[in-house]
Amino acid sequence: MADVSLTAATERRRLDLFPWHVAVAVVLICLLGVWNLASASRSAHSPVWMAQAWFMAAGAVLALLVTLFDHRNYQRLAWVFYALVLLLLVLVLVKGRVVMGARRWIGVGSLNLQPSELAKIAVIMALASWFNFDEERRKTPRGLMGMVIPLGITFLPAALILRQPDLGTALVVVAIGGTMLLFSRIRWRTLGLIAAFAAAGAMFAYPHLKPYQKKRVESFLDPEGDALGAGYHAMQSKIAVGSGQGLGKGWGQGTQTMLSFLPEQHTDFIFSVWAEEHGFVGSLLLLALYFWLVAAAVDIAGNARDRFGHFLAVGVTALLFWQMTINIGMVTGVLPVVGVTLPLMSYGGSSVISVFLGLGLLLNVAMRRFVN
Amino acid sequence: MSILPTTTGGAVQREFRPRLAWATIVVVAVFLTLLARLFQLQIIRGDELKGKADENYVKELRVPADRGQILDRNHQVLVDSRPSFNVTLTPFYCGKQCGEIVARLASLLSLAPEEVERATSQLTGARKLERFRPFTVKVDVKREELDVLEANAMDLPGVDVQPMPHRSYRYGAMGGHLIGYTNEVGPDELRRLNDELAHGGRPQGPYLLGDYTGRSGLEKRFERELRGVDGKRRIAVDAKGREKEGEFIADENRFVPARPGRNLVLSLDWRLQTLAEKSFPAVAGVVLAMDAKTGFLLALVDRPAPDPNKMSGRISAAELAKIHDDPLQPELFRAIQQHYHPGSTFKAVTSIAALEEGFYRPDTVVNCPGHFNMGSARWRCDKEAGHGAVDFTHALGASCDVFYYQAGAQMGADLIAKWGRKLGLGAPTGFDVGGEVPGVIPDVAWHDARIPGGYQKGMAVNLAIGQGDVNVTPMQQLVLYGALATGIIWKPQVVRRVEDVDGKVLQEFAPQERGRLDLKPSTRETVLKGLLAAVNQPYGTAYYLRLPDLQMAGKTGTAQVVKMGARRLRADQVAYFERDHAWFAVFAPAEDPQIVVVVLNEHSGFGSTNAAPTAVELVKAYFRLKAKDEAERAAPAGEAPVAPPRASPPPATPGRGERPRLGALAPRRVEDRG
Repeated sequence: MADVSLTAATERRRLDLFPWHVAVAVVLICLLGVWNLASASRSAHSPVWMAQAWFMAAGAVLALLVTLFDHRNYQRLAWVFYALVLLLLVLVLVKGRVVMGARRWIGVGSLNLQPSELAKIAVIMALASWFNFDEERRKTPRGLMGMVIPLGITFLPAALILRQPDLGTALVVVAIGGTMLLFSRIRWRTLGLIAAFAAAGAMFAYPHLKPYQKKRVESFLDPEGDALGAGYHAMQSKIAVGSGQGLGKGWGQGTQTMLSFLPEQHTDFIFSVWAEEHGFVGSLLLLALYFWLVAAAVDIAGNARDRFGHFLAVGVTALLFWQMTINIGMVTGVLPVVGVTLPLMSYGGSSVISVFLGLGLLLNVAMRRFVN
Repeated sequence: MSILPTTTGGAVQREFRPRLAWATIVVVAVFLTLLARLFQLQIIRGDELKGKADENYVKELRVPADRGQILDRNHQVLVDSRPSFNVTLTPFYCGKQCGEIVARLASLLSLAPEEVERATSQLTGARKLERFRPFTVKVDVKREELDVLEANAMDLPGVDVQPMPHRSYRYGAMGGHLIGYTNEVGPDELRRLNDELAHGGRPQGPYLLGDYTGRSGLEKRFERELRGVDGKRRIAVDAKGREKEGEFIADENRFVPARPGRNLVLSLDWRLQTLAEKSFPAVAGVVLAMDAKTGFLLALVDRPAPDPNKMSGRISAAELAKIHDDPLQPELFRAIQQHYHPGSTFKAVTSIAALEEGFYRPDTVVNCPGHFNMGSARWRCDKEAGHGAVDFTHALGASCDVFYYQAGAQMGADLIAKWGRKLGLGAPTGFDVGGEVPGVIPDVAWHDARIPGGYQKGMAVNLAIGQGDVNVTPMQQLVLYGALATGIIWKPQVVRRVEDVDGKVLQEFAPQERGRLDLKPSTRETVLKGLLAAVNQPYGTAYYLRLPDLQMAGKTGTAQVVKMGARRLRADQVAYFERDHAWFAVFAPAEDPQIVVVVLNEHSGFGSTNAAPTAVELVKAYFRLKAKDEAERAAPAGEAPVAPPRASPPPATPGRGERPRLGALAPRRVEDRG
């Protein structure tokens, strides 16, 4: 009997610890996202916002399911999930569905699954599990040798994703892995060495990029040079954002959006739709919501009770932060064009599900920050 | 700052803190950078970029896809698309001048008042972003009109000329009911069509106002297959809608090619169709020919039919009213949508009923004095003097009514109706192009429900010779005689294959049996003998049409439209709509039927003179063409021009050239029979 009441008490306590501010931020972004999609998909004649709303509902349920069990239960599961995702990534290369020249989707019944989205969560969980084990037994900060395994965990799926080819998602996976690595204890000297390696690697890798990827980098470095060719996206997207001015053109009134200047406007370029129709004020509101979410996530990472939870939270924070940064940076022309979705704003079932899985892990860590 | 934890944690948490301080700095810095960038773009450069957006529209032009072709069995094109041009207007680009421009277009293109009205209402109806969507002012404009537009282009902002494939029905009204027609989608049905489309899982985009869709016949039935996938062309335009010089749009976004619709390959042989159309004298009527071995149609004449070329444009209200009010009802697809008394052609059914039910035996003989009495009523035979003693062969061959009056009187309506239904009458044939009427096979219950006074025995007497209340469609007759010929009740079909534009077969339709005749062998033999006699015995109603080298079996019929008066009138003495319908149903060769033909000549009098000749022409042509095709196939392609060895001097007249080939084929068949 005592056991039961104890359990009930901890359950109640857990509910008290539920980070409502995170949930509110997520719900607000979701609502804006669906509302914005309803405008963006008008010209495409397909009401994708309804599908998106369903994905979000499914994602929310999934996130709540994830919070039901103490995250420590996921330490071993992480590896199973990681292996499964690797398998899917190989499968997608072998017999995936080709859309616009890339092989990114696997058909599951009537749904199309994009395993690269799940790979982000798999890498977060696997790395967290590894660091939890490794940091515990390590006496001194890690040197070069200590990085082999975490880098391997990161680059294996990233390489598979790059083969699809999907540069954007591969970059996000590397960014998440790199961030988590920085949060482990590293020798300063080693850090410098890695930085040098990365620079050299970029120089070496550049010739191996696809021609269209190279063009994008070139046009980023010199946007006016090729404004009509590869710089087209960047140019049109900047015009869309800028033409929104202070207050925007109003919902459903974006001419750049409506007149299909922007391809992929409801996925990668969704922010330009928002910025065009709602102006600087709307952009400010959305940025504030993202800041709220990321700040709360950093907070959760800092307050995590255990190392596994801490690294999970760091990983999810990195996912949200980098995707938001890369996406908005690309749309506003601060970064080159790479296909990265804006969490909870871009249309896409796999993307929504992976973000919600991450949020579920984050909430989980937050709810168990005092429990032993 | 709330980011850094205020709670006091354990050792682990103290380990995390310093890194998180770094992280916080990075996060804040990045957000501030993005914010600064947005401020720069939207506030500082806002006016400049807004101006660019306003000068910088993308006009999305459709590249309309060709609708699939309709081909005959030899891939002869029956329906395709020809290039044409529509004139469109985009409200946004003409702005305040729009009304003026419509007026100018009205004079340049000599628009009809209804076209001006439509354009004006679409102009005023367009709100906000809809104003970017072009609407069609005039379809299929002439060359000269295009030149005039071209010359005035600078004064006509917002006006565009859109290439648009226009449906071309190469043979006009020939086969018009079957082929059907297309016309514009109206605003009221747009939503319904697109809802249907959304559930279809096809790659075609949604219908837009002004798109063409199949309205009847094959065009409607195979809309999904025939309709192509439109492509797109995007061009950059200025605020007046004029294309800007230079390239503004990335290559991969500029052009998406259209994909043409799928082609329908019919089973019709257009050579037979043409011949049937030419040799059929009727004002209104139907000629059907079917491959007896498969149930696929070879020819389908259905008169009168409106010209689909006319129906597929913007037909004027006056022209449409003329078609609607025509007493001959050209919009009626008579082959399946109208039913007629079968007349004497029904005697085959009565024969089967009488034999199967045991009222008559194959050797039954009935004396025909020229009339039949029951109670106080008297029915006349077709031959006033009487046929004398007739057996089955003679009765069917010479079409003796008395023989059947007696059978009807003995059996009653129910048994005849039972066998009529077993033979496929009284129900749709399954020909799924256009709505089919089921016809009427009246039994006792039917009469009781519909006739004042209910069923009387005399009604069965009328029924026995295909008069009274029995009604069948020409298509049902075709299926019935096909069943008599082969024992198989076919589902009549006309589309053999769906092919893509390169001729790759995407879908192939197999022959479909609806059932088989389950008759005593003696019954079938007796009926076939009678049908053979009708064409081949001197007393037969179609004797004068027999062919020396090919045995046909068939039955004539004359369906009374009005009750027979006291005096017999010749056809030319009776008002058109009171004249009898002429039927002829035939199959050949009798011993191993390959082709079944049914002819119905509305209001023309007797079957043997006004329906049968066309049928016989068709049968002859069928075997002639078959022999010719086989010879061509046998000869190596390179030697095609060389005449077959047995050909006599080059045919001066087609008739003489054809004879020997038909002769070469037929004797073999006769031998088979022996």
